[in-house]
Amino acid sequence: MKSIAERKVLLQVNNIKQHFTVKNDALFKPKTVVKAVDGISFELYEGETLSIVGESGCGKSTTGRAILRLDEPSAGEIYFGGENLLTVKKKDMRKLRGDLQVIFQDPFASLNPRQKVKQILNEAMATQKSVVKEKRPERMKELLEYVGLPLESLERYPHEFSGGQRQRIGIARALAVHPKLIICDEAVSALDVSIQAQILNLLKQLQRQFNLTFLFISHDLSVVRHVSDRVMVMYLGKIVEIADKKSLFDKPMHPYTHALLSSIPVPDPTIKHERIILKGDVPSPINPPKGCRFHTRCPFATDLCQETEPELRELEKGHFVSCHMVEKI
Amino acid sequence: MAEKEIPILEVKGLKTYFTTKKGTSKPVDGIDFVLNKGETLGIVGESGCGKSMTSLSILRLIPSPSGKIAGGSILFKGKDLVKLPESEMRKVRGNDISMIFQEPMTSLNPVIPVGEQIAEAIRLHQNLGKKAAWEKSVEMLRLVGIPSPEKRAKQEPFQLSGGMRQRVMIAMALACSPEILIADEPTTALDVTIQAQILEIIKNLQKQLGMGVIMITHDLGVVAETCDQVVVMYAGNIVEHTSSKELFANPKHPYTQGLLASLPNITEDVEELRTIEGTIPSPYNLPKGCRFSSRCPHSKDICSERNPELFEVSDDTKVRCWIYSDNWNNQSKREEECLNEKHS
Ligand SMILES: Nc1ncnc2c1ncn2[C@@H]1O[C@H](COP(=O)(O)OP(=O)(O)O)[C@@H](O)[C@H]1O
Ligand SMILES: Nc1ncnc2c1ncn2[C@@H]1O[C@H](COP(=O)(O)OP(=O)(O)O)[C@@H](O)[C@H]1O
Ligand code: SF4
Ligand code: SF4
Ligand SMILES: [Mg+2]
Ligand SMILES: [Mg+2]
Repeated sequence: MKSIAERKVLLQVNNIKQHFTVKNDALFKPKTVVKAVDGISFELYEGETLSIVGESGCGKSTTGRAILRLDEPSAGEIYFGGENLLTVKKKDMRKLRGDLQVIFQDPFASLNPRQKVKQILNEAMATQKSVVKEKRPERMKELLEYVGLPLESLERYPHEFSGGQRQRIGIARALAVHPKLIICDEAVSALDVSIQAQILNLLKQLQRQFNLTFLFISHDLSVVRHVSDRVMVMYLGKIVEIADKKSLFDKPMHPYTHALLSSIPVPDPTIKHERIILKGDVPSPINPPKGCRFHTRCPFATDLCQETEPELRELEKGHFVSCHMVEKI
Repeated sequence: MAEKEIPILEVKGLKTYFTTKKGTSKPVDGIDFVLNKGETLGIVGESGCGKSMTSLSILRLIPSPSGKIAGGSILFKGKDLVKLPESEMRKVRGNDISMIFQEPMTSLNPVIPVGEQIAEAIRLHQNLGKKAAWEKSVEMLRLVGIPSPEKRAKQEPFQLSGGMRQRVMIAMALACSPEILIADEPTTALDVTIQAQILEIIKNLQKQLGMGVIMITHDLGVVAETCDQVVVMYAGNIVEHTSSKELFANPKHPYTQGLLASLPNITEDVEELRTIEGTIPSPYNLPKGCRFSSRCPHSKDICSERNPELFEVSDDTKVRCWIYSDNWNNQSKREEECLNEKHS
């Protein structure tokens, strides 16, 4: 990885919020607001892999969807190559959509079952106008080669492939339009470990080959440790810690990160590590706790934590933590 | 000690087959293992290798009529469950042997308060009055770490979080103090922090109740943290059966070795992960020889000709691989001779 000074910011997220208004079944009750993402800022450098980790419901996918404008964020700015994604005109957005691609957990759900792989890839290239018609057959062959699928695959339907192969089709489709940034939302979570390893290797290799930038969303911390340059930990719609991979895993500072890392089951019975077992569940994002959102489960919480929300502070170079007590614990 | 007691469960030559339009599939094809009181046995392997069908067979819950137990025996404290009439089997389920699943809603009724469901399960097997059963139900909810259990008992499943539902299901499964708990991917759908809570609960209850646990999982980390002995399955066969310690220190079967090598490591950096090329064979079209042969880096002629038996490598380790037979070295010699002939 290049030093921070040399790196070019590809994506800049400024204080985005995503508040979903949900209707109540009861007639006269006020509407409830789900604060799925509640004011987060970060940047993504060209060619890096930044991972977002955290328990389900903490806002990982919502963050990805906001960047893709699949849901319009309620507030904030997202700059991509200098342009604010949230205010660009429709026709400019089409071009940008090609630069930003996504791979989901369940490739089956995102691939049209009635289309052959050929049609799937063709459609991706046609909507983005990224490859002229005459060049498309050539490009398809190239894409299959990149993702390690046999040429015959073009004439087959998604259901004829295994889970790992379908994920390769999803990757080929994302690559079809020459993207700069790929958001991988739990892209390997449904795969068996031996297949997962194949896909992770492929993603890394493609990243080197095409200088891709990845925003890698996952709840699997071992996978994250393997793929990331930097890691961002979210809790209830907020960033609690963000750092380069090595400092985060070797020297986690936030109490939540500590607990999360200590919960990972280690595939080695001779290692008996100390486990911090958190009490209870994550509170609801409808009425998140006041002050530090983690205070209801935090073993170090003080009165201050219940009242005042901690800021995200840079405690070491590139290592940001949002906790009042971090210097004292 | 364990040798003198009869094991609580002894599975011998178990075969579970399905007959469908596509042909016959053999998800469980000759499985043997022994579970002792208080012990945890892990069953691991890729999806589709027959883990769930093995556990459903033990409770005789295989989808019928397409599926049936085609052979073998399942001895619960010496009594063969395969031969038991359904009415007797019903007394075993939930009472002697309980099961928890990945998706708690498969065993919970969505419209009945959870406390009532547990109380009902208790009354089915124990001679308790309504009130006593309800109290026991609340007690069980407390035991599995549900906060304010009196209040929660009155709620319906959808009012609870995923982790809480999982705990309710465990409470229900354990309400009658079973001798065996079968946990089929009990934490796969949960976050790691909740997984840690649930595994802790199972461990503590196991200590208190002395039950045997069969832990089915594809997560080798969970195996390392919970299991005493481990069975590795591949395409309906056991390919390795050993102690948990030995499995991680000295994996013997090429499949087990590949599986461990393809895990991303939480403490060590590698640029590229090792992989197992290819995919599992279709259960309708199993290869004649070793079922792993199409993916195995060590495969030789004999491997594609005959499926190896489980060779006993040491007291507590069995491996289904020709490498651990005398034939292997002979085969190597034969191949060398062939090569030499060609060269001379
Ligand atoms: N369209 C929506 N309407 C209402 N709530 C939503 C919507 N999308 C997500 N949420 C809620 O926002 C929170 C964050 O969700 P999500 O970003 O999917 O979490 P993650 O990906 O980290 O598991 C959750 O509580 C979820 O229920
Ligand atoms: N209802 C069914 N009809 C036919 N075959 C089935 C049925 N259910 C399961 N099988 C077969 O059993 C095999 C093993 O399934 P299972 O035990 O669920 O695997 P695991 O739990 O290891 O993922 C599957 O690959 C499938 O071929
Ligand atoms: S701010 Fe307080 S409650 Fe929040 S993580 Fe730090 S110590 Fe815990
Ligand atoms: S029997 Fe042969 S193919 Fe099968 S695992 Fe052993 S070496 Fe590999
Ligand atoms: Mg998500
Ligand atoms: Mg299963």
